[in-house]
Amino acid sequence: MLEGNYRLAVAIFIGIFCGFLLVKSDLAWRKTCLNMFLLKDGRLLKTLLFSLGFGVALVYLLQHLEVITLHVRPGYFWASLIGGALSGLGLAFCFRVPITALAAIGAGRLYALWSLVGMFLAVSLVGAVSDLLSASIYSWSRPLDAPQQPINFFDEGNPALWIILLSIIALTFIHFTFRGEAEE
Amino acid sequence: MKVLTGKWSFYINGALLSAMIVLCLYLFQDTVGMNDGMIQISEYAQETATQVSDSEEIALPPLEWQTGFLGGILIGALAASLMSGNWKIRFFQDDKSGIISKSLKTILYGVGGGFFVMLGLQLAGDSFLGQWSAALQLSGGAWIFLISCFAVASGVAILLENRGESGGDK
Repeated sequence: MLEGNYRLAVAIFIGIFCGFLLVKSDLAWRKTCLNMFLLKDGRLLKTLLFSLGFGVALVYLLQHLEVITLHVRPGYFWASLIGGALSGLGLAFCFRVPITALAAIGAGRLYALWSLVGMFLAVSLVGAVSDLLSASIYSWSRPLDAPQQPINFFDEGNPALWIILLSIIALTFIHFTFRGEAEE
Repeated sequence: MKVLTGKWSFYINGALLSAMIVLCLYLFQDTVGMNDGMIQISEYAQETATQVSDSEEIALPPLEWQTGFLGGILIGALAASLMSGNWKIRFFQDDKSGIISKSLKTILYGVGGGFFVMLGLQLAGDSFLGQWSAALQLSGGAWIFLISCFAVASGVAILLENRGESGGDK
């Protein structure tokens, strides 16, 4: 594990790569995200589906080879469901998540600064009402079980196998049915 | 040089996105989301906004791997957009209507949208990249988050588009 300045230097380097990737994959542009949610453009959907299928397989393999260990924050059913719905509502208006807002600003789209302002306001609000949230939304259900990976990959109860299969099917469907539109 | 100036295929983008997350898991031995970095920057912004006098000293956010990563994204996006000729200064998300109308729309949609995106992410407990990383690790909470997020975003975007409200700008 990296420590100290090496950790910081590598993080900056990976961040630069991530910013590069966000622009190259069109994830940083509002227009392409809008078209993805309107189901008009399959390119971003294919990128995300490929990332899911490939990533699940890669994590499964490397975890079984003991190269990586899993690091996941505890999840709560209602918090995840309501949080996802709220984020989806926000996405339908600004089409940005924190890292894509930063990438858009880097690419000169200064209007994405307003999204960052909204995000900082939300962090302050959640900090102010954290006790209330702990007593309500986080107490409605117990924490979800930690992720577990079956030893046998081809076990029919292995979620990784199903996710990879469904990703391949969805990718094939989107590839042959959706047309790509001109990006920004 | 086309690799630096042109677009990349979906399978290259998808594979690199996953590989980057796995590399972070391997190198940092930590959750990959940038939640802590965003909270630190937000606290700094909040303290600066509520600063009473100039003599009051406010500590800068600590330069840790998450804040460094966020800074790197700015540099990487700047470099990529310059190389591919996509870099341009834009103040408004939409260039159809008059200045007042498009200013209001940019501010309202930007602040309101960003607020709800981050509110949801804070409730769910991690940033979007963190939720994506957790989904690759088969976390049930992350899958619930992603499915509900994409379903609501797509539904609301289609409703707004049918009303002619969602723009369609670049």
